[in-house]
Amino acid sequence: MDNFVSGFQDAIQLIISLDPEFFEIVRLSMVVSLTATFLAAIVAIPFGTWLGIKDFPGKRLLVRIIYTLMSMPPVVIGLVLFLLFLRNGPLGEFRLNFTATAMIIAQFVLVTPIITGVVFNGTKERGPDIQALARTMGASPTQTVWLLIKELRINILSAVVTGYGRAMSEVGAVMVVGGNIKGHTRIMTTTIAMLRNMGEYSLAIATGIVLLLISFLINSLLYHWQQER
Amino acid sequence: MNITIDSITKKYNNKAVLDIPQMEFQEGQLWGILGPNGSGKTTLVRIIAGILDSCSGNVLYQGEEYSDSIKMAMTLVFQRPYLIRSTVYENIAYPLRLRGVSEQEISTRVDDLIESFNIQSIQEQKAWTLSGGEAQKVALARALVFKPRILILDEPTSNIDPESIMQLEEKILDYYRKEKPTILMVTHNIQQAKRLCNRIAFMNEGKIIDSGSPSDIFGSGAMPKIEEFIKKGLI
Repeated sequence: MDNFVSGFQDAIQLIISLDPEFFEIVRLSMVVSLTATFLAAIVAIPFGTWLGIKDFPGKRLLVRIIYTLMSMPPVVIGLVLFLLFLRNGPLGEFRLNFTATAMIIAQFVLVTPIITGVVFNGTKERGPDIQALARTMGASPTQTVWLLIKELRINILSAVVTGYGRAMSEVGAVMVVGGNIKGHTRIMTTTIAMLRNMGEYSLAIATGIVLLLISFLINSLLYHWQQER
Repeated sequence: MNITIDSITKKYNNKAVLDIPQMEFQEGQLWGILGPNGSGKTTLVRIIAGILDSCSGNVLYQGEEYSDSIKMAMTLVFQRPYLIRSTVYENIAYPLRLRGVSEQEISTRVDDLIESFNIQSIQEQKAWTLSGGEAQKVALARALVFKPRILILDEPTSNIDPESIMQLEEKILDYYRKEKPTILMVTHNIQQAKRLCNRIAFMNEGKIIDSGSPSDIFGSGAMPKIEEFIKKGLI
């Protein structure tokens, strides 16, 4: 219990101290997770919507694969990417291991199926009705897509928030491809894991509290944006 | 606008749910499409409305195949209408916005319809807060706002209160008398069909088994099969 109490005290101390090293960790965490979520959303929102309204041979299999990827262990994603990025690996020439770019790619791979799956589920349920309405009102294909996005915006937002939450809380994949290098690839979750190994429990909890606060702020902003519309 | 059906068949899991060799719905007629559950009424109107593909045969509109210009002149009001996540006003304005109508013209036409449907008190209300009857009125107003030449109504008054039914029937008839479009209305209610329609197409097992004026279909010379359906209360 003492660890929790001192964790709260340390969290407040961390925030008001404006410690540059800690703020660099926070900054990199946000850059990596927001970039990965943003890129995943660009791919997954149109793909999930398309999947929800189109019928084609092999669709059921594709959906099952996406559902499987949604629950893929992050450390496995990290391992596969690490092997691909090894110097003698297929993508070795890009020298991506132990870089923030590799961490973004890992989170992108992790988050894309999650956003796709959530968007697909929402679209599958309401998409055909929206499409039928658009058609009976005389909408063009572009106007139909725009109507789908507008009508499914709450579902899309939920998908992005879920994806972002997964990215921000992820540790296995980024640890493997990033390596938790101080000032270079160290983010909040890898810091927590490292502090735990060092026995610095209260500082680990403090970092966790700051991580939660950031997630709360970003989710509040997204929620507010959705309410406005 | 005349609607000509030429050898339409639709199958689900290799079972024909619709099989109509020939049928013509002439311009300026108000058709009631009747028949027991599962007789293919909704499938037929959805094919005509262009929202159900993958069937064989042709539907011609004034001799032309389905195209963007036909799509812009036709609409369908669903039994459970989908209203966009916005206000009543925006729902009714939606087809006009799709057509690039000016804001001033939208305001005039939507305000006229809102007044005519007597829904001024709910015009700023969000669509998802409406009752079934209110939602159906909004859906009909939205369908009429761009003055379609073909109006298709798929059981528009089922599951709503009697007062709303009366108002909707009145609005359908007003529009019909004023604009003389082709109207196809799927209904389960014989009395409603007799009140509104000047032509009836009676369906059973995916086929139109009889068509003509209401007195032909339901009068003394009615088909035994149709009489049987009526007696058993299947329609």
